[in-house]
Amino acid sequence: MARTGSSAAQAGFAPVDGGRMQAPVITVLIDLPPDQDYHVATLAALDHAAHSLSMPLEVRVVPTDTIESHLIADPGAAVVVGPGSPYRNRERALDIIRSAREKGIPLVGT
Amino acid sequence: MLVEHARNLAGIQDATHAEYRAGGTEVISLLGCSLQGQTITVALAPGSRLARLYGALQAVERTTCSYGLALEMQHIASEHGMRPVAIDDTGEVRAVERTDHPFFLATLYQPQLRSEPRRPHPIFVGLLRAVTRRD
Repeated sequence: MARTGSSAAQAGFAPVDGGRMQAPVITVLIDLPPDQDYHVATLAALDHAAHSLSMPLEVRVVPTDTIESHLIADPGAAVVVGPGSPYRNRERALDIIRSAREKGIPLVGT
Repeated sequence: MLVEHARNLAGIQDATHAEYRAGGTEVISLLGCSLQGQTITVALAPGSRLARLYGALQAVERTTCSYGLALEMQHIASEHGMRPVAIDDTGEVRAVERTDHPFFLATLYQPQLRSEPRRPHPIFVGLLRAVTRRD
């Protein structure tokens, strides 16, 4: 499972294996520090699920105060809203949730 | 997700979460008895996507939540395409899903805390399966 910053990947998929396959990009909204237990557990759960499905995956961790307009327009192949509220920028997080709802993009909020 | 639902679909434009202490209508409020760090048992709604994911009508999960759907707002979990799909043993809503969406699920517990390499959590597996169905 690859992990990228918020600038990676367009249109929900990112090239892997030299561009031959397209890995779905999962956007994880989380403000907790990377070494915090719930942050680690959220990424690990995606990793466990991806391995069980033999599925390539690119995870894009996005703190809510770094959400840019293009991410709201294109939230990726799926969105995970992680634990740890209050979020630094709740309004932007709500914009992503609305976008995923309206576009039919899979989303889970925990 | 419930705040977004309340604002944009249920017509509660000032819907907010008590944690922000910013005024407005509290859709998410502080639980009388904090569930932080507890294990809860939830009953899953028959026929729901969540119950299908678990393959069961009951689940035991860990929670770090100190907040839940406000008692006077419980009705919005059953309106405008939302459906309550997990209820704890106090009768409070612990998960909702949309009936008009391929996969749109919110839990007031943390399934990721129970995921293991050889036992991935069904919610996360379901999320990724939903991604592959969209390809």
